[in-house]
Amino acid sequence: MRNEALVNEILGRFQERFAGTEVVIWNPRRLYITVPKEEIVAAARFMFRDIGCRLSICTGTDTRDGFEILYHFSHDQSGVIFSLRTLVPKDNPRIASITPAVPAANWIEREMKELLGIEFEGHPNPVPLLTSDVDWEPGKFPLRRDYDAEADVKPKPWDKP
Amino acid sequence: MKDIRLWGLKKSPWVFHVAAASCNNCDIEILAALTPRFDVERFGIVLVGSPRHADALLVTGVINRKVLPRVLRVYEQTPKPCLVIGIGACSCSTHMFTDSYNVVGPYNRHIPVDVWIPGCPPKPEAIIAGVVKALGKL
Repeated sequence: MRNEALVNEILGRFQERFAGTEVVIWNPRRLYITVPKEEIVAAARFMFRDIGCRLSICTGTDTRDGFEILYHFSHDQSGVIFSLRTLVPKDNPRIASITPAVPAANWIEREMKELLGIEFEGHPNPVPLLTSDVDWEPGKFPLRRDYDAEADVKPKPWDKP
Repeated sequence: MKDIRLWGLKKSPWVFHVAAASCNNCDIEILAALTPRFDVERFGIVLVGSPRHADALLVTGVINRKVLPRVLRVYEQTPKPCLVIGIGACSCSTHMFTDSYNVVGPYNRHIPVDVWIPGCPPKPEAIIAGVVKALGKL
């Protein structure tokens, strides 16, 4: 791949700074780097300030081992996406918010909080983003696996009672 | 007196565009209908910035629980007689989002709709045909 030297240099700098990380090379333009959740703010700040990546989007999934959060950083010069991966335990889903370091994460962390229930400590404005501000009960998280989707569906006029 | 008001409305309907939780595909086709290729501005159709100036409401999108009070407020602010034209399959029948936890049903559960234009998204020619049909209703 043509940007192999650049990617290897970036990975070298990342791994000499953060020792306990593993790298999975999915294809020449996507890399998954597993970071423990205590170091995620420092890692995000390193990718944003020192390497010069741009936060593209974040992803939150409910997996068997806990909530997996992916932060996708896009390196625009080479077209490579570095995804930082953390796991958050399900019984205590708290993680430090990266918004003070990377302001672009403001809305996506609000969305992850209201749809998955992950608490982001240090977020400047943790109000719900997408669910209704009028008639949504606060304890329900629609994107968890144990959410009962049938209970919230309103009947349609063409359904026979 | 009524004929004079309707004459103004029929010859030059001013439209306001309400997009309630849509994917914006139908909204792009509405704006494409205003470009010089399809050109609905020759019929006098102008996109206005406030529902209080509007004669017709172009509604798109499947209604969300969050946006429902806002859509009702926009409909109440539009001076009657007004036409409501539902564009896209989501506004006719909630399309593929029927069994979602956040969907409160198609538009005609909440406001009276005059004309439906199905399609995902409908072509600008279909939008023009639908608007002409709605104007013929008056």
